[in-house]
Amino acid sequence: MGAVTDDEVIRKRLLIDGDGAGDDRRINLLLKTFTKWCNSPGSPEEGFTQYQRMLGTLAQCEFSMGKTLMVYDMNLREMENYEKIYTNIEQNITSAHEKIAECKKEIQRAKRIRKNRQEYDALAKVIQQHPDRHETLKQLEALDKELQQLSHIKENVDAKLELRKKQFHVLLSTIQELQQTLENDEKSDNDDSNQESPTDSGE
Amino acid sequence: MGPVELLHMSVFSQSFSPCGRFLAAGNNYGEIALFSLSAALSPEATELNQKPILTFTAHEGPVFSLLSSDSQLLSAGNGEISAWSWNELTKKNVKPLWTKRPNYKSSLEIPEINSMAINPRDNSLVFGGGDNNIHILDLEHGVFKSVLQGHSDYIHCVNVREREGEILSGGEDGTVRMWDSRTGQSIHRIEVYKYESCARPQYGKWISCLTTDSDWMLCGGGPSMSLWHLRSLSPTSIFPLSGCQRQAAFVQDMILAVGEGAFVSHCLLGGEVKAQIPCTPQSLNTLQLNTNSTEHRVLTVGGSSNHIDVFTNLSYRAFSLSF
Repeated sequence: MGAVTDDEVIRKRLLIDGDGAGDDRRINLLLKTFTKWCNSPGSPEEGFTQYQRMLGTLAQCEFSMGKTLMVYDMNLREMENYEKIYTNIEQNITSAHEKIAECKKEIQRAKRIRKNRQEYDALAKVIQQHPDRHETLKQLEALDKELQQLSHIKENVDAKLELRKKQFHVLLSTIQELQQTLENDEKSDNDDSNQESPTDSGE
Repeated sequence: MGPVELLHMSVFSQSFSPCGRFLAAGNNYGEIALFSLSAALSPEATELNQKPILTFTAHEGPVFSLLSSDSQLLSAGNGEISAWSWNELTKKNVKPLWTKRPNYKSSLEIPEINSMAINPRDNSLVFGGGDNNIHILDLEHGVFKSVLQGHSDYIHCVNVREREGEILSGGEDGTVRMWDSRTGQSIHRIEVYKYESCARPQYGKWISCLTTDSDWMLCGGGPSMSLWHLRSLSPTSIFPLSGCQRQAAFVQDMILAVGEGAFVSHCLLGGEVKAQIPCTPQSLNTLQLNTNSTEHRVLTVGGSSNHIDVFTNLSYRAFSLSF
């Protein structure tokens, strides 16, 4: 277990370029300088300068570590941000899909309505060409009344004609009868006179 | 098929399979070609996908009419009707299920069959052609039920009014007749050329295009294409299209019509022509909209060319299939 993690560590350290290698070198240098400083017999000023130099190196190492930590924080926060944006976009996509489906349904409905409207318009055009129903009804009523009046008049005239016919018939038949009676009378007169004369001549 | 024959080819009829993935087209040489729509419409389609997957000779004469029922493809040739199973055709097996020929009065001439329609009420096939009569064939039992006589010249197109179960037929004699499918009597007769608004005496009086929406009827040919209201039998709109229309269809709130002229006309019910979309063939004979499948919802038109134009969006031509 320890060997594996060591390998990982070594691999990671070998992979990381740039600052990592610089830092590594700096730490090694610091250790070497420290041991040299501890074991060096030199003058106190030199020792002091070396001590200052070591503090400087240490500060540099701390500074670079702080920078790396901040970069790591920043990366984490960027990742969160991207995750948020990603989910947001996903939601937008699904809602856009739904809106598209809704709009498609709307279009179908609108097309149907438009078709119905056009059919209505077409029929209305044809209907407009025909005359108004009220007008036609009024005309029909007027014609009916006229018809009734005329038939009334016709009836009256017929009745009058019948009456006149009957009256003339009575008159003519009376005349006929009178004629007949006159003729009969004449004939009987003639007969009488004829009968009298032979008896007269016979005596 | 040599280049000269390809040049003289005309596509007369089309039909989509019940699953909506195949298109069958019939031409004037009596051949039927089967195209795979799913291959031609896929994003990786190549030139080869626009060729038929199967071509076979179905009849001796031209195939003027093709129709699909739930599982069969019916094709009309010279005086005979053949039925092919769609499943067998997709497996490239070209043996017809049956071929029937009605009794014609004279055995000398063999009249061509111009148009077929299926009456869903009693599952019968109505067809009409050169012998001026409409024949009704019962698809379940395979017997010819009746003959409707009345037209005085050959019949161009038949259609079925689904709601009322009536048969509409238009012919060369210029009349559109409505027949009751049960009694076989002619209910109405409209002489379209007698109406001044539609008549075009310079073209003649024949009716070659008839389509119905149960309440409305479109008819055209010699006279201008006109929209009729069937209850009142009156023409409501006339479409100012030059040339004679050969096929029309009601699509949502529009009317699509094809005929003489290298374009598909989009018209509104009010009588205005909204658009004319150009196509490859010089004059078009057939127009079909694939309603059997939602993902391959295309419009295909064919005419006097060996190319069949495919429209994925009604506003422009996407590509062409060729024989």
